[in-house]
Amino acid sequence: MTGEGLMVKRKVPFELYDINILASKDEDLKRISSDMSLGLSLDEMKVIKGYFEKEGRNPTDIELQALGQAWSEHCCYKSSKSILRQFVFGIDREDVLSRGDAGVMVFDDKHGYALRAESHNHPSAIEPYGGAATGVGGILRDVVCMGAQPIGLADPLCFGPIDTAADLPPGVKHPRYLLGGAISGIRDYGNRCGIPTVTGGLFFDERYIGNCLVNVGCFGIVKREELLRNFAGGPGEVMILIGGRTGRDGIHGVNFASQDLTATSDDDSRGAVQLGDPITKEPVIHACLKVNEQKLITGMKDLGGGGLSCVVGEMALAGGCGADVDMEKVPLKEEGLAPWEIWVSESQERMMCTCKPENVEKILEIFEMWDVSATPIAKTTDSERMRLFWKGEKVFEMDLEFLTGGPLYDRPYTLPKVSTKKDEVFPDLPGNNEVILSLLSDLNIASREWAIRQYDHEVRGATAIRPMVGKLNMTGPGDAAILMPVRGSMKGLAVTTGCNPWFTALDPYKGGMSSMDEACRNIVAVGARPNAITDCLNFGNPEKPERLGEFREAVRGIGDFAKGLGIPIPSGNVSLYNEGSGGVSVLPTPMIVGCGLIDDTRKAVTADLKKEGSTIFLVGKTLDEMGGSLLFRKYGGSGGDVPGVDIERLKETMDKLLEAMDKKLVLSCHDCSDGGLAVSMAEMCISGDIGAEIDIQAEGPDMKRALYSESNSRWLVEVDEKNAASFKDIMKGYAVKIGRTGGNALSIPKAGVSISVKDMRKAWSDPIWKIMGGSNQ
Amino acid sequence: MEDHGGIQPMRPEDVKVCVLTIEGTNCEDEMADAFRAVGAQAEKVHLKQLIGKTPPETRKDLEDYDILALPGGFSAGDYIRAGAILAARIRSSIGKEVERFVDDGRPVLGVCNGFQILVELGLLPAFDETMSKTATAALYTNDSGRFECRPTVLRNDNRGKCIFTSSIEKGRTLVMPIAHAEGKLLSLDPNFVQRLEDNDQIVFRYVKEDGSKAEYPWNPNGTESDIAGICNPAGNVMGMMPHPERVITRLTHSDWTRNCRSMEGDGLPIFRSVVQKIR
Repeated sequence: MTGEGLMVKRKVPFELYDINILASKDEDLKRISSDMSLGLSLDEMKVIKGYFEKEGRNPTDIELQALGQAWSEHCCYKSSKSILRQFVFGIDREDVLSRGDAGVMVFDDKHGYALRAESHNHPSAIEPYGGAATGVGGILRDVVCMGAQPIGLADPLCFGPIDTAADLPPGVKHPRYLLGGAISGIRDYGNRCGIPTVTGGLFFDERYIGNCLVNVGCFGIVKREELLRNFAGGPGEVMILIGGRTGRDGIHGVNFASQDLTATSDDDSRGAVQLGDPITKEPVIHACLKVNEQKLITGMKDLGGGGLSCVVGEMALAGGCGADVDMEKVPLKEEGLAPWEIWVSESQERMMCTCKPENVEKILEIFEMWDVSATPIAKTTDSERMRLFWKGEKVFEMDLEFLTGGPLYDRPYTLPKVSTKKDEVFPDLPGNNEVILSLLSDLNIASREWAIRQYDHEVRGATAIRPMVGKLNMTGPGDAAILMPVRGSMKGLAVTTGCNPWFTALDPYKGGMSSMDEACRNIVAVGARPNAITDCLNFGNPEKPERLGEFREAVRGIGDFAKGLGIPIPSGNVSLYNEGSGGVSVLPTPMIVGCGLIDDTRKAVTADLKKEGSTIFLVGKTLDEMGGSLLFRKYGGSGGDVPGVDIERLKETMDKLLEAMDKKLVLSCHDCSDGGLAVSMAEMCISGDIGAEIDIQAEGPDMKRALYSESNSRWLVEVDEKNAASFKDIMKGYAVKIGRTGGNALSIPKAGVSISVKDMRKAWSDPIWKIMGGSNQ
Repeated sequence: MEDHGGIQPMRPEDVKVCVLTIEGTNCEDEMADAFRAVGAQAEKVHLKQLIGKTPPETRKDLEDYDILALPGGFSAGDYIRAGAILAARIRSSIGKEVERFVDDGRPVLGVCNGFQILVELGLLPAFDETMSKTATAALYTNDSGRFECRPTVLRNDNRGKCIFTSSIEKGRTLVMPIAHAEGKLLSLDPNFVQRLEDNDQIVFRYVKEDGSKAEYPWNPNGTESDIAGICNPAGNVMGMMPHPERVITRLTHSDWTRNCRSMEGDGLPIFRSVVQKIR
């Protein structure tokens, strides 16, 4: 704690300090911020000093700690908000029901569906099991506090190559260890809560070595009449703290998330990693949904980043009121916590609800039934201030606007130089057989079965399309999962993940667009129409202009795509400062979690080839866009145009393809992404256990681009021969016949390709098992 | 007309099912819906409601139900042996009522964690008495050492004793998913499998798609003799690791887009069997 003279212990029987900032010079202000781990800049400290000068007193340690939480990048988006406002806010449609802690969209006449994604990157780099598990816990709470029953989880993860033999920087844990821990954490938490993990992604690259990314997404279903707000109904209400007890775990988590990782983060910040308890969470979900169903509460919000310090102020302010809090009522894990520790602790499994005083007793009874602790700790008031009391002693009184307002910055940025065809170096390649097998074995393509089967992806009995599709015990990769959340209804919610960090690194604008395109084509591939997306934007240090430039351009790409296609983004999350020790930034990673709707799930389509003798079409156009492709990364190519998106063309293609699917003309469909057409075709053969003969009109280098270019807005489609003409009629010029199914090998005679399905399956299936241990045989 | 031996079967809509939950059970919604799908009334009941630990107006009596179902999940977290904590709680509170329920011939179903609980409770395999004093078998960690979620193919090997397969012909195969880390049925009794076989207590075995003997991953956990589900000697208590309640419709089968014989899911006949046969 900070030194002589600046901190004065107040004469009360508990730990409380007044911090003498009124007398502090710049040097002292800096020292206070760093000694108290506030994470506030000198300018911010000066603003705070100005506020307390007007109040005519010094702040307490709790007040400064609360400001440190509320003004962190994590809580107030001070570096990102102006950019988000410019490009992605306000894309509206009348079926957006809420933009609360989770976004909520119309599902059908009676129901809405909730969606939200979030990062848990820094905790997971220190303690992957706990970090990932509590990430799942937090995202579940975001959905529950909309009054929604969680129905599915998403888990996109980025790590260094798990087979790396390189020397790791000091303090950095091996990617293999981090991946194993994160998967176990998600597995144990998701499975124990009984929510299926149905989509996600694994991304491997050197640039994630120092700072892995653990993103989690959650989907929920809510009756529209039970949709809940995340704030108080007005003054005179009671705030009830629900769930776990408060302890020293997770102190300063948001500050930790708002700075770069360093070599000593492990020792310095282990206390910032929260501990999860899914078996507390599960009844908390039940009980919270119950009190909402009985219309006993006015608002609900989860305790995430910043703990009580953020949730109380935000619920009161948004409800147009102030709050008085009795801090000694907060149930504790252990004695002896200082009031400021209680106030900022991020202990898990906690929620807050607001209610009219007459409903308190009924609410407590319901929580009692589920053995969930519930304690009234505060009242809303008709002032604009929040006051905290500890056994009668006032320890905190601040204006809520000032506390939760936070600074906003237009930080300087530089626009990145993007990769183009002009500087393209096309690599030397071995024969195409070898290339295809080696792409299939690449960590970024190879089977994720090792992870996927550890997740219960069908608890709740509503999973119609799974992450892996095809013949029993011969499955291959799917595109999107489909859930049927309303019992007795055929309506489905398609959910998926899209992201291309390599494109984003070479051309952030096109990378943002491509990530959106991937999410949309995955949804279309199963026969659903893209409806809304949520995102988790993982970028580097925004105080470095080139990092912020990447962020800005990627967000612009996402925004242009969303506006062009009319797709709302009712919730989102930004995670900055993703840099490992030595200042290596992660690849700029705009993780898109997409949702689509399908009216009749019986018409859903999967990627596995269904029969011999059917016709294969390529839908969409392959362009000379090799920039960022897996082929270039693997074989040392460089430069090249990064794939862009022609929105109008995508719209047309998508509409026509969905029309053909609705008419049941499509037997199977798979999007073309990493590895291009060749890899997509191989994957369809693997999951269907059927070969294919492909005839592409191209030669020489053009053939290679045709096979491996990763141009957007493309799908491979299998159509029964008897329906091929009708399919072509609908698709007009957007589909080209490229071959037929049959035999037990993928053959592309003009490219000299002939590989048995069995060899392709082996190349694709084994790599991750081999590294992580175990086998699928 | 079929001879019911003078006792009329109940109408499905009169059959009352108690789906028992505690903290950490999480397959109760789909279990209740599965019974509803065959016309029965199903109610989710918290253990506290059965043992009088809730306000009087919310209390329930096991006696009022015709079927008891223990759904899957991670009761009390399963931080020690799977199912052990809930089993101990049941035994110490309503152990006698449960024993009477079973003695009475009323059906009890345990799926996944529910199966583990039935074994811990001594209701399965229960060779010598309705409810043995201590567990005589256990569901042990999968050979793979991991939690696994995957489809399996089951063959009905019961010769007619088990009420839950009464309308399913012997030898028929059904596809159902498993999702567990501990599903390998073990016993110290060297004649365990033979005794089960002799008593007609084996209900389901894992097999390959063509019905032939399973090996991993078709037998997902390494369980002896590929046993996936067993019943008690009287045939009214059944436990199984796979989840029939997840495949009530074909649309939740893992390969329905390539293999859709009928819209009915393979789990449905189990619930239909017991609800039709109960009297």
